[in-house]
Amino acid sequence: MVELRNVSVTYSNGVDALHDINLKINDGEFAFVVGDSGAGKSTLIKLLLKEITPNTGHITVNGFNLEKLPKSKAHKLRRTIGFVFQDFKLINTMNVYDNVAFVLRSIDAPIKYIRNRVPYVIGLVGLKDKAKCYPNELSGGEQQRVALARALVNDPQLIIADEPTGNLDPKNKFEIIELLKGINECGTTVLMVTHEHELVRYFGGRTIRINAGKIAFDDYIG
Amino acid sequence: MKLSSMNYLFKQGVRNIWTNRIMSVASFCILLVSLLMIGFTLVFVANINQFISGVENKNEVVIFLEEGIEDADISAMENTLKYTENVESVTFYSKEEALEGMKADMENADELFGYIGDDNPLPDAFRIRIADISQISGTLMEINRMKGIDTIKSPTDFINIMTNLKHFVGIVSLVILCALVLASLVIISNASRASVDIRKREITIMKFVGATNTFIKVPFFVEGMLIGVLAGVIASVCTYFGYVELVKMLSQDTTILSILSVNGFIPVGNIIWKLSLGYIAAGAFISAVGTVLSTRKYLKV
Repeated sequence: MVELRNVSVTYSNGVDALHDINLKINDGEFAFVVGDSGAGKSTLIKLLLKEITPNTGHITVNGFNLEKLPKSKAHKLRRTIGFVFQDFKLINTMNVYDNVAFVLRSIDAPIKYIRNRVPYVIGLVGLKDKAKCYPNELSGGEQQRVALARALVNDPQLIIADEPTGNLDPKNKFEIIELLKGINECGTTVLMVTHEHELVRYFGGRTIRINAGKIAFDDYIG
Repeated sequence: MKLSSMNYLFKQGVRNIWTNRIMSVASFCILLVSLLMIGFTLVFVANINQFISGVENKNEVVIFLEEGIEDADISAMENTLKYTENVESVTFYSKEEALEGMKADMENADELFGYIGDDNPLPDAFRIRIADISQISGTLMEINRMKGIDTIKSPTDFINIMTNLKHFVGIVSLVILCALVLASLVIISNASRASVDIRKREITIMKFVGATNTFIKVPFFVEGMLIGVLAGVIASVCTYFGYVELVKMLSQDTTILSILSVNGFIPVGNIIWKLSLGYIAAGAFISAVGTVLSTRKYLKV
């Protein structure tokens, strides 16, 4: 569960990024976060990952009270979150298998578990035959699937996808969202940030629109 | 952390050297040159100090006695000298021994000394060795008070110059070494920063997927340490062969060595082990710590 209460963020340069935000996303929900550039979407993600701390307000993510969580322990929170970036952010020197396995290795998972879990997740995103390929040998859509597999492998409670379709062609855009919907149906909360209104209208569901640092709309559409 | 994880991280460190081979080679070369500069400066200073100490050890004072001095007075003087503070040894050279010695050293002695006949112009003398060369002035003042002394021949001025020179070389070499170490640290830290900079994206990704700082740092530490150890080993080999060749080349011209009256350079066996250990330890430490410190700013994500 994600909960923000009276959260405000003002950057050191005086920019009022978020103002008095109140938001609650329940376990198992799928929510789109939409808004124009500079609306405050990225700031919201940074807050949820404890990359920054708010000036005022309280944030709870997957049972972690971020006020009380020191930065040095942020990895504990991040292990409960799967994160998908717009530019995929794969490690180019690792093949698909290692990019996905890396997450489990970093949490000291047993080797046997890694050997079973990683091929399974790579299979889920449809890249079973490309496990030994390096990121630069894959198409944009395939790279984003690897990023999805990496986000999924640790069986997270929450997946945050930041413009995951931004760099993809229309066919891949739909496929990635279908995958995210499938993951959500298995019980994982999904928060997808996008500025592509057509996609939101097509898939429908809970939509939160941020405008000038405030929540301008929060309801179900479609 | 589990043993299997440590094993994985160690392998990652080794793999990173190859994956980032251009930066690895650059770091290695910078480290190697820095170590060699410092190492050769140390070897040079050690040899200079040995030369100076060798010259300093020529601490012999010759006391010429007055003409016609009695044997009893000579014995009394010898006893007094033996118990004088800072005098290590006393040897009496009679005028006859001095003449024989001179004849032995000169090629045309018979012709030259034939004119003299039985009349020996050389004086009796004591040769004494000084224990602490820096205290020579006080010792000579005390000896000068004794009766029956004609003149005293001592290398006081030369010894003072050598003592000052040793002091000067010590300070200059310390300053040069400090400057070299400082410059090396700056260059090496820049090299490791550049090496880490190109992987900031990798570090950021690791942070976002929940890796701990230790998990991220260990491969960098292993990578830096291995490069440092390798640079240390190669620096040792270069120093060994470089020093042996240099000594061989300089030893061919014995003029300088004979002027300085020293036996030669420090044998390579006496320095290479200590230097190699220093190279490897310093290389591994500086490189590993430098690399890990360079990751710090990217770990703040």
